[in-house]
Amino acid sequence: MVNSIFLQLLTGLQLGALYVLISLGLALIFGTLGVVNFAHGAMFMVAAYLGVVISQAEWGGWGVAIVLVPIILFALGLLMERGLIRFFYARPHTDQILVTFGLAIVLQETFKWYFGANNLPFATPDWGSGIMRLHDYLPFLEGFVAYPKWRLILTAVSLITVAGLFALLQFTTFGLVVRAGMRDSEMLRLLGVNISRRFAIVFALGVGIAGIAGVFGGPVTQVDPGIGMVFLVPSFLVVVIGGMGSLPGAVLASFLIGLAISFTATIPALANIIVYLIAIIILLFRPRGLMGQKGVME
Amino acid sequence: MSSANSAFYKKDLLPVATFAVVLLTMPFWFKFIGGYSGLDTKIVIWIIFAIGFGILLGYMGFLSFGHAAFFGTSAYFTGLMLLHFSANILPAMVVGIISGIIMAFIIGFLTLKRTGIYFSILTLAFGEMLHSMVLSTLQDYTGGDNGLTGLPTPMLFGLKMQGDNVFYLTVIVAIVMYYIARRIIRSPFGLMLKAIKSNQVRLEYTGVNVARYKLLGFVISAVYASVAGSLMIVYEPYVASEFLSWHLSGHIVIMTVLGGVGTLFGPMLGAAFMLYFENVLSVTMGEQWLLILGAVFMLTVIFLPGGFVEGGSKIKKKLMGGDE
Repeated sequence: MVNSIFLQLLTGLQLGALYVLISLGLALIFGTLGVVNFAHGAMFMVAAYLGVVISQAEWGGWGVAIVLVPIILFALGLLMERGLIRFFYARPHTDQILVTFGLAIVLQETFKWYFGANNLPFATPDWGSGIMRLHDYLPFLEGFVAYPKWRLILTAVSLITVAGLFALLQFTTFGLVVRAGMRDSEMLRLLGVNISRRFAIVFALGVGIAGIAGVFGGPVTQVDPGIGMVFLVPSFLVVVIGGMGSLPGAVLASFLIGLAISFTATIPALANIIVYLIAIIILLFRPRGLMGQKGVME
Repeated sequence: MSSANSAFYKKDLLPVATFAVVLLTMPFWFKFIGGYSGLDTKIVIWIIFAIGFGILLGYMGFLSFGHAAFFGTSAYFTGLMLLHFSANILPAMVVGIISGIIMAFIIGFLTLKRTGIYFSILTLAFGEMLHSMVLSTLQDYTGGDNGLTGLPTPMLFGLKMQGDNVFYLTVIVAIVMYYIARRIIRSPFGLMLKAIKSNQVRLEYTGVNVARYKLLGFVISAVYASVAGSLMIVYEPYVASEFLSWHLSGHIVIMTVLGGVGTLFGPMLGAAFMLYFENVLSVTMGEQWLLILGAVFMLTVIFLPGGFVEGGSKIKKKLMGGDE
């Protein structure tokens, strides 16, 4: 009994950790720039493919992939913001959604063309493969309890990323300016702060986090051209449940739906729709989301 | 009939008659541009879908990413009725379309509460919810991944609904629905939809119950989607689970935007263009067609937000020698 509850809890946290990694960038970009990036799932997909290619390349390897993929995605985000998104700040929200949706299709189809539609195997590195014997460390567990090592690493990476992002926003001057920009970007501009450059960095940061998600999450998900869209929907729901524009909300909502999926896993009919049911309940009884601020995007 | 009313009448007569003639003569000219019989029916079905989507996106300004929900719900219920009740399309289509409308009320109620961004995200999510329900939760009734198969040949009072019969049925429905759409757009209600698009908050301050108009506008566009979904099953008696997926929702978005939002003609043009080129180009270049489509779509959004219609009027202006 203790074992099964513990394992479900762990699976829920691990699932939540993956959702956090994917939706954090989405929430960050939406919260600061007000842009709903329909190509965010595609960014995750690109990162997962890059992870496969670099980790298996002769010149590469897993260590290189971990460092390089988020950096490439960061650069990609910078390129995307400077080359495309910034021209859309002044245009209607529907145009922003349409153009990022178009980009998502282009990326998805390009990768399908180059790599084919099938799932690419994404092997974990030697140091992250196999299982961890949890009963050696946790005395309250009965008998033999093991868990895949990579999933634990993924959870840890996710928590570190969250901590890092919050530290950046809370304790640095850059973060202070960004947070002020989230509150009232017009005022900040009047004060003579160049926020558009910082916003470009924020956008790239959001995409870079999708890079971390792709390289660490890829081995536990599929790596195929459609994977971005598969994860885009739950990440949208995370942002809605947590509260549009709230980063702590996104983290909380990710773990909430991770746990909800894990604890309903024995009833597949329910597990498939539990995320939507939670979203409906939130919409009916707390439309601004768990931690959404009053007046933001209402 | 008052004189104002007959003026309305004249306004509609020419466009609707042109529309009717173009569609009704399609079997005669369509083959000369490489079309085949069957594709014409499909194009007309998508034109109906696009008219309704154009009302929602072009006039009310709401971008739905979940219109497959209504197309698909209607398609499934039409299919279920044909399978379990009667091969007569009349009860099947009525039940199918009503089911789509009920779904629109539910989803509209949940998604229209807040801003347009919310709406786009949530319609996508609820559309995908229905898709995943059909694939897993309800698979005993829906056939899961395989879809609904083994449907009887649809009948209309002893008439087999195949080939030309389906085509002319579809065309008649399309003409009626196009006329209704024109009337809606020009009615006071249509004006309300345009007001919602230009400034929802201000409209609210004038004492208008905006939520009710939004829901009604949304449901009207879902009626068009439901009619199209139902006709699709009459055209081809097989319900694919794909009918509920975001691919289909994305398709209708792309068509409408390519053709030109804010007009009735644009979305119809977009639908015809896309289905035609999908069938012509996918033969020669296969899956890469979607890559081209995505790129063309992006370029349109960036440089020509008004789609083909805006492009056409720009060219016209240039040829006329800049009258403004």
